[in-house]
Amino acid sequence: MPSVIDEALRYLGAPDRETRDWLEALAEDTETRQAAQPRWVFAESPLSAEDEGFCLTRFGLTLTGRTAQRMLADCESTALLVCTLGHGYDRLIRAAQARDMRRAVGLDALGSALVEAACDRAEEELRSRHPGLYLTDRFSPGYGDLPLSLQPQLLAACDAPRRLGVTLTQSLLMLPQKSVSAVIGLSKHPQQARIRGCAFCAMAQNCAYKSNGGCEAMNKSIQL
Amino acid sequence: MLFKKGSITLLDGAMGTMLQSAGLKPGQLPELLNLTQPRLIEDIHRAYVDAGSRILYANTFGANPRKLARTGHSAEEVIYAGVTAARRAAGDSGALVALDIGPLGELLQPMGTLAFEDAVSAFARMAVAGEKAGCDLAVIETMTDLQEARAALLAVKENTSLPVLVTMSFEANGRTFTGCSAEAMARTLEGLGADAVGINCSLGPMEMAATVETICRSTRLPVAVKPNAGLPDPADGHYSMTPEAFAEAMRPILRMGVSLVGGCCGTNPDFIRALDKAVRETEAEKASLQAIPYEPVSFACSATRAVRIDRVRVIGERVNPTGKKRFQQALREEDMDYVVSVAASEADAGAELLDINVGMPGVDEKRLLPMAAQAVQAAVDLPLQIDSTDIAAVEAALRVTCGKAVVNSVTADPASLARVLPVVKKYGASVVGLTLDENGLPKTAAERVAMARRILEAARAAGIPREDVWIDCLTLTVSAEPEQAEETLAAVRAVREELGLQTVLGVSNISFGLPNRVGITRAFLLRALDRGLTLPILNPNQREVMEAVAAYRALHGEDEHCACWIADFGEETARSALPGKETQRPAVSASAAATLEEAVYRGLKGEAAALAREALAATPEMELIDGQLIPALDRVGADYEAGRLYLPQLMAAAQAAQAVFEVIRSRMDAGHAGQLARGRIVMATVRGDIHDIGKNIVKTVLENYGWQVTDLGRDVPPERVRQAVEETGARMVGLSALMTTTLPAMEETVRLLQAMANPPEIMLGGAVVTRGWAESLGAHYAKDAREAAKVAGELLSSL
Repeated sequence: MPSVIDEALRYLGAPDRETRDWLEALAEDTETRQAAQPRWVFAESPLSAEDEGFCLTRFGLTLTGRTAQRMLADCESTALLVCTLGHGYDRLIRAAQARDMRRAVGLDALGSALVEAACDRAEEELRSRHPGLYLTDRFSPGYGDLPLSLQPQLLAACDAPRRLGVTLTQSLLMLPQKSVSAVIGLSKHPQQARIRGCAFCAMAQNCAYKSNGGCEAMNKSIQL
Repeated sequence: MLFKKGSITLLDGAMGTMLQSAGLKPGQLPELLNLTQPRLIEDIHRAYVDAGSRILYANTFGANPRKLARTGHSAEEVIYAGVTAARRAAGDSGALVALDIGPLGELLQPMGTLAFEDAVSAFARMAVAGEKAGCDLAVIETMTDLQEARAALLAVKENTSLPVLVTMSFEANGRTFTGCSAEAMARTLEGLGADAVGINCSLGPMEMAATVETICRSTRLPVAVKPNAGLPDPADGHYSMTPEAFAEAMRPILRMGVSLVGGCCGTNPDFIRALDKAVRETEAEKASLQAIPYEPVSFACSATRAVRIDRVRVIGERVNPTGKKRFQQALREEDMDYVVSVAASEADAGAELLDINVGMPGVDEKRLLPMAAQAVQAAVDLPLQIDSTDIAAVEAALRVTCGKAVVNSVTADPASLARVLPVVKKYGASVVGLTLDENGLPKTAAERVAMARRILEAARAAGIPREDVWIDCLTLTVSAEPEQAEETLAAVRAVREELGLQTVLGVSNISFGLPNRVGITRAFLLRALDRGLTLPILNPNQREVMEAVAAYRALHGEDEHCACWIADFGEETARSALPGKETQRPAVSASAAATLEEAVYRGLKGEAAALAREALAATPEMELIDGQLIPALDRVGADYEAGRLYLPQLMAAAQAAQAVFEVIRSRMDAGHAGQLARGRIVMATVRGDIHDIGKNIVKTVLENYGWQVTDLGRDVPPERVRQAVEETGARMVGLSALMTTTLPAMEETVRLLQAMANPPEIMLGGAVVTRGWAESLGAHYAKDAREAAKVAGELLSSL
């Protein structure tokens, strides 16, 4: 799985061969593979334009802000997604932190890459269920101006606590930690990629790679 | 008795599904309808009564104070209305009303941030309100975390006299989302005093059957089954099974001898009606009933690991300060990281249960024992044996220990039996009985067996099943009392053969005071195993001893085709010991390092420690640190900054350096060890934030540079940080935050610290923190672990 490794190396900020070999071995480790159990749930709804923003009519859930406005401008319906690697992976990282921080650091980066890869697979499933429709980029509460306060409703719409074991802390962070919640628009028209790149990234102000051309450039340097 | 085996009682079907078809949106709290639309709720209950339900689950699943916090309504008010609506629907039908208790919606520690006692309090409010409102029983359902189920069950039992049924939700692999197995659930909750246990939600009847069978085998209690109407459609989450198909699929489960059945998500009164018919037909064909028999077995488990004592199982003995200076120092400093590292090394070496003992003069065991148990179970998944003579400490630890634990120990002294057994019974633990009494240890095997019998009788009288009584016939030092080894061995045989009980023995004690201890220990261990010892307590990090256990298993038919032996010794390079397994960790570099500096630079932990041991023969400790260790770390740091080394190598080097420090510490007495300490730094991930790996990376590196770190963990309230600074006198605080939403909590913490009479230096870091923001608060900034070490060095060295 070359792209997962590339992604994890990017999170680690480590483009060297030695780290790549080590991370590949870590990804192939039986314990890692058994612990990562990606699962996801979609909840789809028609959209209607309201004054405060687009409303997912099936759930009575309104997505406020410019991000949702721009992303869903061209869409008839939308899918909410919750995806997780499960509690076993959190447990694996916790166990590693007590024994070997290097391993924990590797598992943490790998987990982030694995859950994103699972989201990509989930999107494929969504696409195959809707031939003829086009998907927008997925975007998540907490990014851009889509408020994190949507999390309780988003998770409830997906029945995520019961169907995936994903819950929120008081501060609205998801557990297991390697989980993603997202909104994906469905449109009859092809959708351009809108939110790739530094301008939309929450990490932009602090990013170590931004001055070198951001993640895309970093990815290229990894592949070289 | 409300629940009984041998007949089937019909529960109800889904409430949520019915409310959703009546227009409830996901995310709205269905329990508020008890107040706003009580008639709607009552009508749904009545439809279930008419369909044949004999127990109604009141609409109180999520009516806990935490979920209701922002609604302006109290749990008491919502529960009263819910129970009342169900009671009205029951009318004079004879149907009973259950207080329904679901998960709190927040994860408990260590997976989440909710403290165990906070969960117990929330559940207790529900339980008390339910009993006051007049419900007949309590149902705890849809639990996926065994620890949360324990909290709810304890809350009901401690605060009400309601009978209680507990069901958890299992996936198709037979485990809950958090990794709890059906057997662990059944045996743990029966021990804790549930009146019935079972399974609900998550799967349809067909996917559930195998798990139901496991539950039946694992408990004497009546078993409850409440499946969903099949599996939900992946696209829209709807259930499509028909009532008839559901009832048909339930027939094999009904024949297993379950006692309570109903439906969960996607079911409605038609399902209950169809199920009622299937129940009556199954009961009519009594001849074909093949109730699954209960299997009594000695058993221990953690949240995720179940251990059947059906063969020799090794109990690790090293979490114990007796005779260990380094361990004692760690306990005095409440350094739980060290305690956990010892436990982890035992687990990795093949221990299957862990004895946890923190008893030494000057230590508050009642506080420290639960602290150690919680810290260990966060990182190590083995069942725990709680080892203390202070029964209050034992109880405090049992409360927070997830799963079915073991108590070490009780004696045949009536006072000890009266003190210890009720606690063992309350928490459903097993207990180690020592064959001694108020007059001391008897000299003969026969007297010891008589004491074992006394302990067994007292345990049975206290309601503890015989498989939970484990007997320790006590090992005496052979050099002091040479004739006693045979007496111990004879007693082990008799306890095993005549009483049929599990036998525990701390074997290492046999060789105390002798040279080549391991030779004697191993020979004694093998003889004891041959006499029927099932639970040796030993040091699993001693390879020779674990080899003996592995060999015994192979020779005794406990290792089929010698598979474990071959796996452990098939390769020359196998380091691992044996009953357990150590996965091969990918190494950064395989070749050997010539110097200590090189070994640290390349992150070769074992070699660095070995080279340090060699060097210390000729070099004083401080010289080794200043002359070799610090230069190596500086080189690692410089190369990391220059982009020649990356985070994984930085961590590997830090751990190699730590291994060297451990070697040095173990050679110094407590007084001299003080030289190693440069000063104390308090570290925390701020309130509301659960990301702690970044903070732990910084901690690892700071410790390398000689700083003593007090780690408060994650989601730490500002006040707790201030308190820790006061308690420790730390001159620096490091705070981490990963989410923009938690920056206000970071700022609040900084302000609180700055308002102290003698404020500490404050260093901030984490993905969303910028230098400008940190400096605007009057705090320092570190972009990574390397910079944090520099900042600490500059600020604190100049003090």
